Amino acid sequence: MSPLVRKTWRDDRRAIIGWAAGIAAFTTVYTSFYASFQGAAQLKDDALPEGMKNFLSIQDMTSGTGYLQATVYGLVGPLLVVMAAIILTVRTIPRPEEDGGIELLMVNPLSRRAFATQRLTATFITVTALAAIPGVLVLAIAPGVGIDVPAANIISASAGLVALACCFLGIAFGVGAATGRRGIALGVTGALAVGTYILRGVSGIVDGGAWLRWLSPFHYFIGTDPLHTGWHPAHLLALAAAGAVGAAVGIVMFDRRDVGV
Amino acid sequence: MLWHMTDDIAVRAEDLTKFYGTRRGIEGLDLEVRAGEVMGFLGPNCAGKTTTIRLLLDFLRPTCGHATVLGMDPRRDKATLHRHIGYLPGELAFPGRERAADLLRFFADSRSGVAWQTVTGLAERLELDLSRPIHTLSKGNKQKVGLVQAFMHSPALLILDEPTSGLDPLMQQEFLALVREARAAGQTVFMSSHVLAEVQQTADRVAIVRDGRLAAVERVESLGRRAVRTVEIHFDGPVEVAEFAALPGVTDVTVSGPVLRCTVDGRLDPLIKAAARHEVVDLLSTEPDLEETFLSFYYHSEGAGDVPAGT
Repeated sequence: MSPLVRKTWRDDRRAIIGWAAGIAAFTTVYTSFYASFQGAAQLKDDALPEGMKNFLSIQDMTSGTGYLQATVYGLVGPLLVVMAAIILTVRTIPRPEEDGGIELLMVNPLSRRAFATQRLTATFITVTALAAIPGVLVLAIAPGVGIDVPAANIISASAGLVALACCFLGIAFGVGAATGRRGIALGVTGALAVGTYILRGVSGIVDGGAWLRWLSPFHYFIGTDPLHTGWHPAHLLALAAAGAVGAAVGIVMFDRRDVGV
Repeated sequence: MLWHMTDDIAVRAEDLTKFYGTRRGIEGLDLEVRAGEVMGFLGPNCAGKTTTIRLLLDFLRPTCGHATVLGMDPRRDKATLHRHIGYLPGELAFPGRERAADLLRFFADSRSGVAWQTVTGLAERLELDLSRPIHTLSKGNKQKVGLVQAFMHSPALLILDEPTSGLDPLMQQEFLALVREARAAGQTVFMSSHVLAEVQQTADRVAIVRDGRLAAVERVESLGRRAVRTVEIHFDGPVEVAEFAALPGVTDVTVSGPVLRCTVDGRLDPLIKAAARHEVVDLLSTEPDLEETFLSFYYHSEGAGDVPAGT
């Protein structure tokens, strides 16, 4: 790994450790309490109106699959990994550019594009690893607590989580590298994440709005119900492609503009 | 040779211009820095010094005009070029919160082929403690980290933006020694400053910018002769204004009792000879101030009505 990639990881290490701990704790707590929450889950299941359950992609809280869907893969899990992806990505270019540190990073004998690519690579690897944590932990914990979901389905849903994170990573990188503004990158990508999450929920409850879900990255991640149906490579590729386009735009735009004005 | 230069020019700017929207950074800069020389780049704050430097490093892209650095194009050849450039930013901000040693190791690794002894040697000369985390260092010590980073790979061209800011006088001398050694080793130094004195000690030539335009390029000696000093002489008794007002180069003469104040442009000799006719108790001569040098220079070149505005 190049000195710049290693430097990026070193500068991000506190944030990386924090997010890893948070994501791991969340996944472990939710997954391992499946058994003891059964009663409560039944209550929740009865209490939540059908529309709300559709909105939150909850089918039935009582089965292992439904429980995982409602907890780790439904709302908080994707929220956590997408937040981690956006916040870490904003540290690649906009943050050092705003605090001035980017000048001493850019004295590296690298072309602009190589510089941007290496910053992106470092954070891509970090985010991929963070987004893979829930999958690894669910795989390890699920059999012991009576969640009987096939490992292949857990892996495919978890791969979707990674692809989702990378999609927003690419978009955040594109906006951040093109503008050099932390606020813009956080605002635009954050709003996009929240907006498309809501859009997917709305598309399920509004008559004639079903097509809207195709505009939401969250649909490509969970709309295919991977915990029941397994792999949907085309959907995952679509997420990866969206991220790749964002990243490529960012690299090209970064190569063309003034830095640190 | 490290680079493919067609002549002995290390930096060449041709009509180099940068506007930030409508705000002028630098306009129509034509400048040549010869290989192996130390060139001071002088001007008041916001005159366009940092803009020029950042154009040479490809952090900024010119609105029009062109710069050639070590015979290469700053944008197209950035990767190669930055191997041979040592850069000290004017506003130092360090990425990360690691120890000084770890940060410098990153610079050494990314440039490859930097002996760690060179780094520790520089740190010792500048009395810099490498084991401290960067963010706990004082401004002066941060400046030293920046200097070590710029000098560590013995680059062909050193581009230093306000290099002595934050350094105490002793360290300023050590820094000037580093610059002299760099020149002796054939390296080119392009350093900006708003203090004439620090540039005067080492530079061969100075380029003066003002309001985004190049005002002059001069050999340091000729700039010294132009220098304006403020002189204050205390006599043991009252003196007459008329006795001094007509002396060549002497202006703004005021006398209050035994104290004479005046501004001297150029040689001090006539004033000293005139003062020697009286009993002199004390004599104060203020270092030629760059602002005043500028003022006198601009008055000469553009007329008395044109007072430089600090934009």
